[in-house]
Amino acid sequence: MKKLYSNKLVILSLVFPGLLVFVFAILAPIILSVYYGFTEYSGMGTATFIGLENYKTLFHDKAFGRSLLNSLLLAIGFICIQHPIAIVVAAVLDKLQGKAEGFFRCIYFIPNVISVAVIAYLWKFIYNPDFGLLNNILHIFGVQEKINWFSADLAIWSVLIVLIWHGFGWGMLIYYTGIKNIDPVLYEAASIDGADAKTTFFRITLPLMKPVIQVNVTMAVISALKQMETVYLLTNGGPGNRTQFAANYLYQQAFKAFKYGYGNAIGVVFIIICLIITVGLNTLFADREKKA
Amino acid sequence: MSKQADKNVKVSKKKDFSPANIILWIILICVAVVQIFPLIWLIDFSLASSNEMFTTGLLIIPNKIQWGNYAKAFVDGHFLHYLRNSILINGLAVILVVVISIMAAFACKRMQWKLNNFVKTLLLLGMMIPIHATLLPNYKIYSYLHMTDTIWALLIPYVAFSLPQGLFLMTGFLDGVPVELEEAAVMDGCGIYRIVFQIVTPILKPSIATVCIMTFLNNWNEFMMASTYLSSPKWKTLPFSILEFTGQYSSNYAVQFAVMALTAAPAVIVYIVLNKHITKGVAMGAVKG
Repeated sequence: MKKLYSNKLVILSLVFPGLLVFVFAILAPIILSVYYGFTEYSGMGTATFIGLENYKTLFHDKAFGRSLLNSLLLAIGFICIQHPIAIVVAAVLDKLQGKAEGFFRCIYFIPNVISVAVIAYLWKFIYNPDFGLLNNILHIFGVQEKINWFSADLAIWSVLIVLIWHGFGWGMLIYYTGIKNIDPVLYEAASIDGADAKTTFFRITLPLMKPVIQVNVTMAVISALKQMETVYLLTNGGPGNRTQFAANYLYQQAFKAFKYGYGNAIGVVFIIICLIITVGLNTLFADREKKA
Repeated sequence: MSKQADKNVKVSKKKDFSPANIILWIILICVAVVQIFPLIWLIDFSLASSNEMFTTGLLIIPNKIQWGNYAKAFVDGHFLHYLRNSILINGLAVILVVVISIMAAFACKRMQWKLNNFVKTLLLLGMMIPIHATLLPNYKIYSYLHMTDTIWALLIPYVAFSLPQGLFLMTGFLDGVPVELEEAAVMDGCGIYRIVFQIVTPILKPSIATVCIMTFLNNWNEFMMASTYLSSPKWKTLPFSILEFTGQYSSNYAVQFAVMALTAAPAVIVYIVLNKHITKGVAMGAVKG
């Protein structure tokens, strides 16, 4: 058995495809990015080595700062708006039974299976000043004005609403699974002790959901950081970088502004930020777990 | 037993018309309306004509239901062509992710070698890398290798970015598979490959389903890589039905609504049909991942 299980050739053949894909599609591009990050290069012609110039520029780049700020705003939006609603809805849903439970669960998740392309264009229409749904709803409440939802002041909030709306079902489903995993005996004990629904929710559901909340918060922060597709189609970062996100910005710099070298420098910093935040959140929550 | 208890708690709460309960129902319904109404609005407008859209009402009752919008969307959106590409590319990606992740998971968890944990961590690292940061360098690599506009330009990154999650789930589940089974197989003279594919793989079925669902959900709606690495419509996927259509019919809004509804339809229908399995799969994948 031991001999069979330590055959180097067999091991190599098993991990080789995985390693090959990793090296070719993830590692090699990152190394290439690091290289181009040190150059001035339009994407065509030759790349000239300029050392840390790109990174110096990036350090003072207001649009990049704005991107990170927007990611932070989005993460806050996820955590403070989407998640509380998701937890409450998940808890209520868990109390339902039979058809209604499946029906609502299905409805909440449907936006998640729809392509970002559809979602982005759909919301463009919803925000449309001429026939858009949102202005029509406001019209019912007596607002006569045709509001331009993509104006400099409103655009970022409009984008946040779409993202919070689109990701709701995902967050809800994870909380719902977490609640389903709570031992029902605890609820029974609570109801014997005469606890009402509110007490049960705050004293049993929430504390036991802590690990699930931590996973969900981590995922929310990371997805806020990695956001690109919806913004790319909805506003493409505009007006004037007001709704810019890092991934979209590096794409624009490389393919629209023809600063391929600079785009790669942004990419390198972006990867480092993602790594630091992922590792940071994981260790933060792991430490807490141990102390608790 | 716990299921039974679960039921008892629920039954006792069934007919409760207290104000608190009514508020909970209102929350539930309000959120459902917010989530689903935009889609109802989308379908409603897709059946109207463009002239009817400039109302102040929420929904339109079309004078005549315009099925023609869908016919235009179907034909001019090249729906079947893009759908075929999407199914083909995603199907292949799913198969590759499952096979590669089972092999790698087995090698890292069961086989005895020094670098097993290092290789596992390395492969899992892919989970933390933002996909979009690799768009620029990958474009360069694929152009250099003349791979842009081929199926490989999509397949390779799709597999690469779903593999870490697949591996993570597979290694997790493999922990629960008893080693004794493999020992017996070794006694019977099975080689490693037979053990992996004929003994371990069938046991991993539930996790394979989870990996399939997660990979599919990850890649089905992807379009950033597709629009970067592909230039001709040859291998473009379903989202391009909309992306390329809107230019062509820029002023005919009703037809644009139709193409959106049509593009969304396959995934929504599959989701509704497989609702329970997908919910389970996502729950398993997300909680573990």
